[in-house]
Amino acid sequence: MMIRTMTAACALAAFSTPLMAGKADVLNTYADIAQAGYEDSVTTAQRLSDAIDALLEKPSAQTLTRAREAWIAARVPYQQTEVFRFGNAIVDDWEGKVNAWPLDEGLIDYVADDAGPTDENPYAVLNVIAQPTFTLSGQEIDATAITPELLETTLHEADQVEANVATGYHAVEFLLWGQDLNGTDHGAGDRPWTDYATGDECTNGNCDRRGEYLRAATDLLLSDLEWMAAQWGAEGEARSTLTADEDAGLVAMLTGMGSLSYGEQAGERMKLGVMLNDPEEEHDCFSDNTHNSHFYDGLGIRNVYTGHYTRVDGSIVSGESLSDLVAEADADVDAGLRTQLDATMARLAAIKSTAEAGTSYDQMLARGNDAGEALIMSAVDALVNQTRGIERAVTALGLDGVGIEGSDSLDDPDAVFQ
Amino acid sequence: MRLILALAFAAGPAFAGVPEAVNDHILPMTARFSNAAENLSTSAKNDCTANALQDDFQAAFDAWMGISYLRIGPVEQDGRALAIQFWPDTRGLVPRTVARLIADKDAAAQTAKQFADVSIAGRGFAALERVLFEPKFSGYAPDSYTCTLAQAMSADLAQMADAIAKEWRDEYAQTVTTAGDAGNTTFLTKSEAAQALYTTLTTGIELNADQRLGRPLGTFDRPRPTRAEAYRSGRSLRNVILSLESLHGFAQALADGPTPQIDAGFDIALQTARDLDDPIFAGVADPQGRLQVEILQQKIKALLPAIANEVGVPLGVSAGFNATDGD
Repeated sequence: MMIRTMTAACALAAFSTPLMAGKADVLNTYADIAQAGYEDSVTTAQRLSDAIDALLEKPSAQTLTRAREAWIAARVPYQQTEVFRFGNAIVDDWEGKVNAWPLDEGLIDYVADDAGPTDENPYAVLNVIAQPTFTLSGQEIDATAITPELLETTLHEADQVEANVATGYHAVEFLLWGQDLNGTDHGAGDRPWTDYATGDECTNGNCDRRGEYLRAATDLLLSDLEWMAAQWGAEGEARSTLTADEDAGLVAMLTGMGSLSYGEQAGERMKLGVMLNDPEEEHDCFSDNTHNSHFYDGLGIRNVYTGHYTRVDGSIVSGESLSDLVAEADADVDAGLRTQLDATMARLAAIKSTAEAGTSYDQMLARGNDAGEALIMSAVDALVNQTRGIERAVTALGLDGVGIEGSDSLDDPDAVFQ
Repeated sequence: MRLILALAFAAGPAFAGVPEAVNDHILPMTARFSNAAENLSTSAKNDCTANALQDDFQAAFDAWMGISYLRIGPVEQDGRALAIQFWPDTRGLVPRTVARLIADKDAAAQTAKQFADVSIAGRGFAALERVLFEPKFSGYAPDSYTCTLAQAMSADLAQMADAIAKEWRDEYAQTVTTAGDAGNTTFLTKSEAAQALYTTLTTGIELNADQRLGRPLGTFDRPRPTRAEAYRSGRSLRNVILSLESLHGFAQALADGPTPQIDAGFDIALQTARDLDDPIFAGVADPQGRLQVEILQQKIKALLPAIANEVGVPLGVSAGFNATDGD
């Protein structure tokens, strides 16, 4: 331990004078991008909320389609904020309410017949929408009124099971699309608009309670996002924690980039899906929006490094960047990492364009689809590569204590050894 | 399971113990697993009914416990570790996938090559355990699709086990033992290889405490006996014991000297495990039984400082991984 600490100290001594001023600016840029990203998430979630009002007021195929479009748009800024999650405890502790995945959606509403309780989750098919009262972990629950509070305090992670996701984007997604029963064939969830119809037109029962759930989940999403946007404001806790210690702040930035690249996106979200050939391993499995989810996750990582974010209204937030700081320390390391980030974006764009052209992400996961597997695995490899680049940046900056979260599904943990 | 990968820290070229660990422990253990899986597959060709296969299943699973923690190189190649044993299955994918293969009479079971493309939730010990030990499947007839499926699962396991043994013997053993030499692009320094082995050792210890015992323990208010590993085949405790026995041999080989603390620690942990009269940790649901499992968990965790002292320090490496669970 001694040797390493000393090496880090030497590196800091060598570079600290010219870089001191830069670090504060770099952290400010990062916090500004986070703030803008969460504010944009609020803006687009408000549009989603308006569209859901319209759906519930006047259920129709058209109002349901509008609500789905608003959900997809709302994901664009939010996914770019995922990079703030690892490294900032305040975000990671909160994130589960907003973007938890994968979920046992049978907790919320009706699902296909082949589902049932599992070894892991006795409440995997609870179906709250169909049951105004039920027993949960030995307690009688009164769910006659479906409120944000019921979802947040009673249902979410019920029975201490993480797959009991009652709130957030993916709960809303399930309520708008329903289960995707096409397997690895083309097609997303196909919930009929009549699931929200009143009177005799109502399909699958309990349309009023379903609408109540959708309203409550959307309200909660909006208030959770507003809270997080405020944490990144001038006096916010996320910003003040980040800027309290400059080196720790830089470590948080790099940890977020590396952990999202490696363990979370390359491993848990992409490679494991290929190995399971399971369409439900898609990140946005109900809406078939996974290609965008991965693309904007990748873009968020790049935003942090380049200190540049394009907002949902087209304006730009930018400033002194981590890239500038690394380039001062070691121009080759900076150039290498930039090249790697660009390569990742090119490969994620190939997945996105393929999906938009009609071959959806779940089709790429199909057993025996070698081309689809190669497409996904090339992006996995690029993400693993850029993790090496991120670790070199850590070394170049003489920073200590960056932990990159890995995943069992990555076949080559050695790839990120220094 | 998730891993936190910290940075390696540079130290002197300590390497003693690495060739011993490879030659005296890893190579024999991978060969043993390959033989046991081959026996299972051969038996399945002769008689694929559940009764006929259960003993060979247990023997192959026993041998897998000898190397399951060896999460580098050939065991990780092509995601083999998860394909050999997909556990924990936090979303119930194994029963669903097995039921679907049988309901569809999926033709992928006809050839080993096609079966290797099946979801990892339908392959390996976790899936085969359902077929052989779960009453709703295990009564299948010799000429049934399920019998063919059991053959395919066994052959697939044998193929992966064979590949692991061959790749270690023909290639990866050299990759590890020539760490730091010119042309070795996997391990740029001797220390990287030592750290990689050391990390599999400590991660393996942690996995026994945190996963094999920690998952069924759950919390005091909410114990989770059905989360015990391989409880359908009655192997939950047996897996802990076999894994610890192999990790002990591995630690001794990797250490560059006598290992009195390690030996004492393993003796206590293994004795505690053997004295535990609860093969599938069903006792976690009552306070007394729970306490016994918690004590075992503590004895296993207590191995880590001894391993750091007698293996990590002499090798000049610290653990690169910390096991954490979930998102």
